Amino acid sequence: MTIKRMTFLQKLLKFMGLENRLHLDWISSAEAQKFVQVVTDFTEKIKAMGPSPLTGELDLSAVESACEAEIEAKSPEVQSVEGG
Amino acid sequence: MEEQMKKFLEPFTTTDSKTSTFESMQEQVKEWLEQGKVDLFLGYKMIQGHPLPHFFSKENIDEVDDLIVGLARYSLEKIATKIAAEKPDMKVGLLARDCNQRALNVLYVWNQLNPDNVQTINVNCCPSKLRKSADCSYLEPEKAGPVKKEIGIDNNMDVEDAEGFGPAERFKRWRYEFDKCIKCYGCRDICPVCFCKECGLEHPELIGTGSLPPENPIFHLVRAVHMGGRCIDCGLCEDACPADIPLRLLYRKVNGIVEDEFGYETGTHSEQSPFNLLGDEVTLEIKPL
Repeated sequence: MTIKRMTFLQKLLKFMGLENRLHLDWISSAEAQKFVQVVTDFTEKIKAMGPSPLTGELDLSAVESACEAEIEAKSPEVQSVEGG
Repeated sequence: MEEQMKKFLEPFTTTDSKTSTFESMQEQVKEWLEQGKVDLFLGYKMIQGHPLPHFFSKENIDEVDDLIVGLARYSLEKIATKIAAEKPDMKVGLLARDCNQRALNVLYVWNQLNPDNVQTINVNCCPSKLRKSADCSYLEPEKAGPVKKEIGIDNNMDVEDAEGFGPAERFKRWRYEFDKCIKCYGCRDICPVCFCKECGLEHPELIGTGSLPPENPIFHLVRAVHMGGRCIDCGLCEDACPADIPLRLLYRKVNGIVEDEFGYETGTHSEQSPFNLLGDEVTLEIKPL
């Protein structure tokens, strides 16, 4: 059941464009070597992929300047509205 | 032949309030109410020019003459669920399209409604090549404009087409759609199969509060996960969404995954989905120490 649920989540994230960032493995408490291996491999994989697009702030500067330009172009109207 | 067809379709295509069109339906409802087969009947009534959900009862039986069917859709079964929560023995009748029937199925399966207490009158819907006319608000989904096509996701897209974009582009496009969200909860409120008493979307520790757009993509993904094995693809969420987010497409994908992984087809199965968010029942017995 766990593997099915995880596959569900992986597929959903993939659909959103966030793939390969979720990993599931079975490691017994007696398998220290395997634990090290799995964690190291996954860390390397993630590092190679770079930061998640979620961590980066959305670059809104372009939108902002466009809005400002728009406001400036319409400024007499805006002022009259404010004045009214 | 064509004329015959026209004649046949006429009762379904005329939208003006010709009472005769609905006469047989109204008579059936009156009969049910009088015989006590149903205690109340959920349908639509034109109120100040708007076809609104309305319940008809034996006490106001003359009102049944105002019962209409039109393009308007509402999750009447959701109202029935709320009634059943208050008065479990009340017998409810309702107008049901194909999507309502699927939703009713899900609600029976999840013990929200008792099938013995529900009667339905079927409504013409879901057009096909053989059935060109139907009463549904979703007949012609809105067409996407140039900006949405360029940087967002067209609501009429197929799941396969949405998967066609590269990963980075896919993320950007979904992000654009989700960030339009004004957190009105319209998608949840209209959803016929959303019946939880407490909603995770409103839990401040699960989803951050006080900012718009809401915490994305968490807000929408949480809802998407909850729709796995529940969503009956009625499209009401998308109808309700003021920001035109392609929710139906997202939930179609989610249900597709549930079908692939769990072999469960939502709306037709007679058992609860194995992809159950409420968790599995505890099977361990308590034993003395």
